[in-house]
Formats: sequence, structure tokens, C-alpha cells
Amino acid sequence: MGYCGEGAPEKAKLMALLEVHNLTKYFGGLKANEDISFSIKKEELVGLIGPNGAGKTTLFNCIAGLYPVSSGKIIFSGHDITALKDYEVARLGLARTFQVYVASGDMTVVENIMVGCFMRTRSRSQAKTRAEQIMKDFKLHDLSDYILSELPVASQKQVAIAAAVGTDPKMLLLDEVAAGLNPSEIEDIMATIQHIHYNMEITVMLIEHVMELVMKISDRVIVLDSGQKIADGNPETIARDPNVVKAYLGERYVHEHAGELT
Amino acid sequence: MDILVSSLFAGLLIGMVLAMVALGLTIIFGVMEIVNFAHGEFLMVGMYTGLLTAQATGMEPLLTLPVAAAAGFLLGIICYFGFVKFVIRGPMVAQLLGTFGLMIFLRNLALLFFGAEDRAIHQGILVGKSFNIGMGVIAPATKLAAAALSVIAFWAVWLVINRTKIGKALTATSLNPQGARYMGISTERMNALAWGIGGGTVTIAGALLVNFWSVNPFIGLLFTMIAFAIVALGGFGSVSGAFFAGLAVGVITEIPGIWDFLTYIFNFGWMADVPMTSLKYMWVYLAYFVIMIVRPRGLFGWKR
Amino acid sequence: MEALSSALDFSDFPRLDMIIAGVLGGLLVIFPATPHSAFAMATMIQFLMFSLYGMGWNTIGGYGGQVDLGKAQYVGIGAFTTAVLMVRWDVPFWVSMPIGVCFAVIWSFIIGYPLFRLKGHYFAIATIATSLVLKDIFEVWDFVGAACGIEISPIKYNPPDFLHLIFKEDIYYYYVILGFFFLGILYVNWFRKSRLGFQLRSIKDNEEVAKSLGINVHWAKIKTYAIATSFVSVVGSFHACYIKNIEPEDTMSLDISILIALMAMLGGAGSLWGPIIGAGVLIPLKSYLKEWLGARAGLIGIDLIVYGAIIMLVSAVEPRGIWGIVEKVRRRKRN
Repeated sequence: MGYCGEGAPEKAKLMALLEVHNLTKYFGGLKANEDISFSIKKEELVGLIGPNGAGKTTLFNCIAGLYPVSSGKIIFSGHDITALKDYEVARLGLARTFQVYVASGDMTVVENIMVGCFMRTRSRSQAKTRAEQIMKDFKLHDLSDYILSELPVASQKQVAIAAAVGTDPKMLLLDEVAAGLNPSEIEDIMATIQHIHYNMEITVMLIEHVMELVMKISDRVIVLDSGQKIADGNPETIARDPNVVKAYLGERYVHEHAGELT
Repeated sequence: MDILVSSLFAGLLIGMVLAMVALGLTIIFGVMEIVNFAHGEFLMVGMYTGLLTAQATGMEPLLTLPVAAAAGFLLGIICYFGFVKFVIRGPMVAQLLGTFGLMIFLRNLALLFFGAEDRAIHQGILVGKSFNIGMGVIAPATKLAAAALSVIAFWAVWLVINRTKIGKALTATSLNPQGARYMGISTERMNALAWGIGGGTVTIAGALLVNFWSVNPFIGLLFTMIAFAIVALGGFGSVSGAFFAGLAVGVITEIPGIWDFLTYIFNFGWMADVPMTSLKYMWVYLAYFVIMIVRPRGLFGWKR
Repeated sequence: MEALSSALDFSDFPRLDMIIAGVLGGLLVIFPATPHSAFAMATMIQFLMFSLYGMGWNTIGGYGGQVDLGKAQYVGIGAFTTAVLMVRWDVPFWVSMPIGVCFAVIWSFIIGYPLFRLKGHYFAIATIATSLVLKDIFEVWDFVGAACGIEISPIKYNPPDFLHLIFKEDIYYYYVILGFFFLGILYVNWFRKSRLGFQLRSIKDNEEVAKSLGINVHWAKIKTYAIATSFVSVVGSFHACYIKNIEPEDTMSLDISILIALMAMLGGAGSLWGPIIGAGVLIPLKSYLKEWLGARAGLIGIDLIVYGAIIMLVSAVEPRGIWGIVEKVRRRKRN
């Protein structure tokens, strides 16, 4: 469906969809992201990990246009989106979800997803049809008429992803979708992400603390520590990368267990 | 030149009283982020309290301050426990309209009891006296005394907030309510205290104001808007900001005098035709609007 | 076409609601045929006018959650445009009303652009400030009659004059405003289901999420503000022809702004029926309290004391209003 149809030449798959060049972000004197560069190819599923405070969410917010960057350049599917506002970025096909998403208000599940679908159409019936299709794909159709804010967190997160998918994006940034969920809910959300990625052919980048999830589903993992990119590679290499282990476990631990790690 | 100096002087003088008017609003906002639309009505209560106490007992009007302060403190506490406490649980629209209901309630209570007519104080040793300060500035004694007492009262409240334990607890609550709660400071008590102090200070300002400003039941809204402008200018929740902003807004209310001066200097015919006196308070509203757009944290916004 | 069918489609309400609404709508249509006092007629017209004001407010304030307390300035723009055009150049109502809407919408864009950079309390107070600024300007502006206002003299016309909306009997005014009332309901019914309506509700929930779904939040608010403004301005124009003697003090005062917001909140902000329910409760209450307690018993102000107490009670006890209670009860029954 949508943008990356099967007919697309094989070459297009290898082209970078998102390119980040030397992105730096300061908050006052505090350096949240420093000189980060990476690129993501079409239909990749990339995990972004790092200890707390590494600047992962800041990076997402910069890419999605929520924060202006201090320096650097962001290219998304051929457009320079560095200076664009968040809603303009979304309209170009780069959708996102939020880490802390507490629904309020009186909108039902289907209405929430329709808001996303309304980005590509003015027609209510089209938006509704599409929202219903997405709900079916996400197995949310039973919840259709419930008020979102009255549902458990896991369902709220599923709906948030569904609404983002409703905007018909080329790429989706998912910020800690599994945080605060129990193992079976994590299974569900993992299935959702894989569905988005394989069946809907949407490129995905996700921040995640739940390692089993990241390592299992990601094609590639990027690691941030203290605002800098310290590693970038497939999950197996990342797991063995001494810098990554150091960042997570601390210098001393690595030193003491030097023998066991290689 | 004389008219400019005397306008500026009059503006600063009234500004000192207006700073006192706005003090309570900024304290309440700082502690619990609620805008009290009935603030001007609290002022009205202070004005009536000062006026009626003076008239009933025949005492010097300026000596009625403690009575007004006590009445205002009580009013603030009652309003908090009887009403505000319940409103803050709801959405913002409920808070706004709720305190607006309080405003209508108090205003019409005053109308029922005191009638619609203007009332003014005609007694006391200062009434009718004035000082010639030079440069053509003639200051009425009542205004001078009110301004001086306002500054003293403002300073006293500032000391209480910055130098005493309870004041620090109040500041802590305004900076971080949750943190303050962990430190064993009762948010509820601090909120009530903020409303008490808010009520007490504005009624003091009212009792001072009534010495040279006649009172009627509808006077509140004007002062509510003036207080909003001051609080916006000084930074929402900032006490020291409110003082300087009060002076600034005082000068804004004297724009007609300044306009006269400019008319005199430039001598354009059209300038004299502008009905500036009727637009006196428009500048205050406009100032609020412009300040909010340009500097949402206020020109003197020190509180982050 | 889809818009029209959407406006006429009330099927997402329970059937009971539609029956009640149909019966009440029918009663509104036949009301003038029933025996009634002139006072009751005046109250009903007020009710319809304030329902429309409330519906307008509800688009931005209810669905969008932007507490606008400055609607009175648009009542003034509508009313004075119509009055001035009619008195000076004999322009018919049906021409001056759209002109008034244009002025109101232009003004709403001018102040809306900076206004919507503000949020929450700051926004609410700033709307009051703009309204008061405009009122002060109207009070010194000789062209519109300054503080004394302007009077449409009915002598010049030959009632019933449908072009200029000059009538002797209130019944004509009643049916004109009733027509606007039904149109208003249809419009809001379309609006709440339209893309803009959904965008507004999403903004009310969470602005960041709304932006991430491609919504230009600032522009959506300004557009909706203009819609709300048009409603108010149309009724303002009607107000000028109906009252005939308008002053800034009684068309543009803060009390009007607050009353508009209050009715919507009392009835239930963010729902189609809320403003109508709110107006249906408050307007008769206000007029009859004033008539009985104020005028007859000589207790000046007591009507407004009761009114203030009701506002306080509603905001403390059930801020979601009457419709909020209805929905809560329904949901409890269903689950």
C-alpha cells in the first residue's frame, strides 16, 4: 500500500529515506545531542537505544520538528526538513508517537484514529473507512466506540500507533511503546510493529528500553550515550560492542569482568 | 513640562497603590496557578470595609487598615475552603468561570446592601489637604499617604515571604508543589494561606484607595483588569515584579496627561481631538494584550 | 453534497434524544400560536439568540477547549455594522449582516493570530482585554454614536419590512431567529463531524499529538475562531434590528462574553446540545429571577446573586455541565 509499492525498483529500497547529518542540539548550555549522523534506508527497522538521558527522545523531537536543531541537517525522502515545523514534517510522511501519552478528553478509539486519517482526506466517510481498516489490522475493532482515556495504557499506545499509521506515513518514529507494559502486552505491541513494518512496508525507527524487543525485531541498532552516537550496526555486533557494554554497565564493571566479555 | 512631571508623579503615586492591589493576585497565581476574577471585588470589599468602619466609628480612615486586612484575610480563607478548593479539581474553564461567579456574587451582594451610588470619604485629617512639591506638582495628602502606606505594606509582605519560615514554605509550594509536599509542607494549608494573604493585601489596598477614590459595587472589574495587566507585566507569580509593574501601569493610567503634554509640544490639531481621557483604561488593557504577546513571562519576569 | 448529508445526519445520537429534540423543536415552531405573554416571547427570543451565541462559542471553546471570554466584541461588530449601515445608508439587513460577518472575521484574524500564541489562562484574559479595548474605542467613536450608541428609528420603515427586519410584532423576529437557530444546529452538526471538528477535538486533547498528526494547530484554531465569530456576528446584526437602540455598554460588555461561555459550560461544552440546554436553563432563569425578585420585590441585584451562586455551584460540582451528567449516567448504564 501507499508509497513503497512492490513495483518500486530494487534500487529505491537501498536509497536512504532519512539522513541525519551532524545534528547538534543544545538546551541553554546543556548539550543534548552532539554531532550525530546516520541514515536509514527504506523499509529498515532501526532500534535506537542508550542509557537514560542519552538524548534519544531529544533526537526524535529534533527529527520530527518539535525542537529546532542547533546545527546540522535532516533530509527526509529528498526534502530538507531541518527547519520545518512538526505538522509539516508529519505531512511529508514522517509520523511519530510520544513516550508519555496520557489520553484525556472524550474522543473514542475510532475518532482518535480518524484524526490521523483526516490528514490525507477531507472526506469523513473516507477517513472512517480507513480508520476501520486500520482497526481491523490492529485488532482494535472491538474497542472502536470506547472512550480512549478510559482504556488501559497498552490499548492507548496501540491506538496512538494506529492514529500515526492513519496519516499514511513513509516512516514512523516510535518512542518507547513498550514502556510500562507487561510481557503479554509487549508481545502484542511487537506483533503490531512487525505488522507495520512487513505488511504495511513502513520504515520504523524505535526508541526502546526493553532489550529483548529491540534486539529481536531490529534490522539495525543505533546506540547513543551522553548525546553522542557510540555504535551503529546489527543487533549481534552491538551486543558485543565494548563501548555499548561500557555505556550500559559502567566502566568499572567492564574492567572487572574484562575476561568474560569477549 | 509641568504637566508631564505632574502626570508622571501622579502615575507613580497611584502605581504604588496599584502594585499593592496586584500583590495578592500574583501570590495566589504563583502558589496555585488559578486566576481570581473576583480580585477586584475583594478590593471593593476592602474599600467598603474601610469606608464603613471609618464612618461608623468616626475614626481616622487610614487607621481602618487592620480591620480591612482582617476582613480580607478571612474572606480569602472562606473563599478557599468554601469554594476554590472544589473548583481547582476541575478543568481550567471551570476555574475561570467559577471565580467569575464569585465576582458576580460579591458585586451584587454589595449592590443589595449598599446600593448603586458612589460613596466617598469626606472625613479625616488629610482630606482636602495637599502639598506643593515644586515643578508644579501638587500632591493630595491622601494620595501621598496611601502611596507611602502601600509601599510599607508591600515591603512588609515581601519580608514575610522572603524572610520567614512560612513565607519560604509558600515560595517552595509555588516553585514545586510536589516537592514541597514531600518536605512536609501541606499544600492545602499553603493554598489557603495564599488566599488569605491575597485577600488581606488587596483589602488593605482597598482601604487605602477609598481615601481618594469613591466606591460603588461595579468598581471591581476595572481593578481586576488593572491587576491582570500588572501581573502580566511583572511576570505571573513574581512578587518583586509586581511592584515595578505596578509603577509602570500607574504611569500608563496617566497617559491622558502625557498626551496633553505631547499635544502641547507638537501642536497638531488632531491630537487635541482624541478623547484621551475616555480611553484612559484602554491603554491598560492594550498593555496587557501586547505584553502577553511579546513577553509572555512579563517584562520583569524573574520567576521561571 | 457529503457536507449537507452530514449536517442532516443525527443518527449517532440515541433515538430517545432525537424524539425529545424533535418534540422540543416542534414546540418551538408552534410556540407563538400558544397563548403567551409578551415577556415570555421576549425571553424565548433571548433564549434563541443566546443559544446561537453559545453554539458559536462551543466550536472554539467547547470542541477546541480554548476558553474565549471576548465574544461580546463580535456582538458589537455585527450589531453596529448593521445599525450604522441601516441608519446612514438604508442598507437592508440581509446585506449588512454579511458585511458585518466580514468585518468580524477580519477582526478575528487580526487579533486571533497573536491571541492563539497564548494558552490557558493567558489566552482567556487576553480575549477579555481585546474585547474591552474594542468597547472603549466604540465608546468614543462618534461615527458609531460613541457612548450613547445608535438608534434605528422604525418610523422610516413600513413594518413588516422583511428586507430591513423591522417589525411591530415580536412574532416575526421570533421566526427569523428560529430559522437561524435551526441552521445553526445543522451547521454545528456538520462541524463536529468535519475534519476541522476532529482536528479541534484532537487539539483539545493534546496539542503535541495533534501536531504530530499533521494538524497546523495555530491555523486550525484561527479558522475555528472565525467560525465562532461569524455566528456571534450574525446574531449581533439581528440584535441591532430587534432591540433597535444599541450602546457599547449593553452589547459589548464583559457580562455578555461571560454569559455566552457560561451557558455552553452549564449545558455541556463540546456537545451539540450543550449550549442550547444551557441557554434554555439560564436565560429564563435570569429573566424571571430579575422580573420576580428584582423588579417586583425591589431587591436589586438578588437575581444576579442567585445567578452567581449557580455559576459557582456548577463549576465546583459538575464542570462538564448538564450534558456531561447525562452522558455519565448513560455510560454507567451501558457498562
